[in-house]
Amino acid sequence: MLEFLDSPRVLHGIYVLGSLTLFVIGLYGLLAKRHLLKILISIAVMELSVYLLFVGLATSPGETAPILSDGLRAFAGMADPVPQALTLTAIVIGMAVLALGASLTIQYHRLTGNADVTAMTELKDS
Amino acid sequence: MALPLTPIWFVALPLLVAFSSPLWARLRLLMPLLLGVPLTLLVLAIALHPLVRTAPLVETIVIAPPLGIHLQLDSASLLLIALIGLASALVAAFLWLGDTEAHLRGRRAFVLMLLLIAGCNGLVLTGDLFNLYVFLEIAGVSAYALSALRQDAPALEAGLKYLIIGSVAAVFFLFAVVLIYLQTGSLSLGAVASSFGEIPGPMQILIGLLMLVGLGIKAELFPFNFWVPDIYQGSHPAVASLFSGILVKAFLFVLFHLVFVLLADPEVIRTWLMGLGAATMLVAETVALRQQDLRRMLAYSSLGQVGLVTLALGFGSEATLAGGLFHLVNHTLVKLLLFLLAALMLRHLLSVRLADLAGLGRVMPLAAGLFVLGALAVLGLPPLSGFVSKLWILKGFAEAQVLWPIALILLAALIEAAYYFRWIKTLYEPRAQMQEGRPLGHWVYAPVVLLAGLLILLGVAPFLVQDLFIEGAQSLLARDVNLEAMLGARP
Repeated sequence: MLEFLDSPRVLHGIYVLGSLTLFVIGLYGLLAKRHLLKILISIAVMELSVYLLFVGLATSPGETAPILSDGLRAFAGMADPVPQALTLTAIVIGMAVLALGASLTIQYHRLTGNADVTAMTELKDS
Repeated sequence: MALPLTPIWFVALPLLVAFSSPLWARLRLLMPLLLGVPLTLLVLAIALHPLVRTAPLVETIVIAPPLGIHLQLDSASLLLIALIGLASALVAAFLWLGDTEAHLRGRRAFVLMLLLIAGCNGLVLTGDLFNLYVFLEIAGVSAYALSALRQDAPALEAGLKYLIIGSVAAVFFLFAVVLIYLQTGSLSLGAVASSFGEIPGPMQILIGLLMLVGLGIKAELFPFNFWVPDIYQGSHPAVASLFSGILVKAFLFVLFHLVFVLLADPEVIRTWLMGLGAATMLVAETVALRQQDLRRMLAYSSLGQVGLVTLALGFGSEATLAGGLFHLVNHTLVKLLLFLLAALMLRHLLSVRLADLAGLGRVMPLAAGLFVLGALAVLGLPPLSGFVSKLWILKGFAEAQVLWPIALILLAALIEAAYYFRWIKTLYEPRAQMQEGRPLGHWVYAPVVLLAGLLILLGVAPFLVQDLFIEGAQSLLARDVNLEAMLGARP
């Protein structure tokens, strides 16, 4: 009954809808939340939605993982490896930025006792 | 073993030296190397100039055919590379000779500054969209950490704000790159450029908008530049001089490189870019009028100049492009000069607010005098270099019979004059008692005086460098030659 889900068009449509929803959730959190960690999480969610979109749209149903195991030399039916490699790289970069952000937040909180963006008033137009 | 002189060194050398920093720290070579590496890159850039002049130099590092990494060096990117080398060498010399704060002379600052140089060079050189994203993050992360380096509340606040806005920019840029890959199946600039026209229209607009938001935030264009003055105020002025001097310039170059390579007919977005440039210029100059902190004033002035460069480059005729590139170089030199002076004043007086600077001309005559020189160079008065580059831009617009940018540029110069003279007047105000700070050595001024000398030299003898900028403008416009070089390099 659910075979229609296997057609690439429907599947890709679902991926697009899902990842765009995630993107909008991240954007909402970025603009509406005030706690620094929540803002960092929102950015991570936005990044994640882009990765999902990339990997989701670059593969079609029935394709196998782009790994050449021993003795296997044929490329038949394999998903495009480039998006997966790029996504891995991007995940690592995103992780590093997130770690830097979290550590800066912790230091800022230790120093000033707050973690609220609206309370950051050290630098402003005078 | 003879090492070939190829563009890869512009990225590899700073990375190698940065990651072997424990060795240099033990040998007490941090400061000499921080000065030596950018100088070496500058010399290498000059050595490569005759080669690049004949044809763009394309280097492909083959991993496994058809996969490889492309680096492209043409006359325009060579100009930027040389500028990055010169500017970071001058800042390094300032940090070394100036006996600056310990946190700027330590291992962390050393590593981060070299990574920033590597990132900026990579941004300018890369011929591949995903590598562009990676270099954008390398330059970004080192910039966030550099602005938070002092680890007090203002510095951490600046670092956090920069990190948040920078990551958002990176997400938008990544989104655009992903859409381009899904549409064209390629990431190499050459291949993308040749099939970009076949992407359906609405998708082109979406990609363009995402790119514009991502790179607009990074290149500090209106309305995405609300965060800039906070960062420049919170960071150490020497670090801010690097941001204003090389980081923004690298991103501006990337923006226009993409525009000129991807679009067969850049005229479609000419109005948009010029409008953005004009808005950036006018809004920033107007807000700069009422700033009370020298660093914020310089940040807004820097935004105004970025707007002017965008206006000139966006128009896309050969004359305005050459003028825009020249102005870009001038602005780097001027803002380095002014920010480094701000660093000296900050160290001497512990404050750079307008009220506290009154009467500084007595205590620090040389610094005040150089500040006046820098201000006049920003305003574009002869015989300083700002005059020549503004003149080239205005001449370019006049030749094309487009008059509204000329009016706006002159208006912006008037507003600039208003606020710079307010600061100059304060510097020379008579004041009874002035707190005596720590006296500065004579060597502290060496890099700053060198910068001032360069400004005068370029103003008096612009013909020395004229050919460089015209070649740069031509190579930016020569889309076919660039595409051929990039596509031909594919293994």
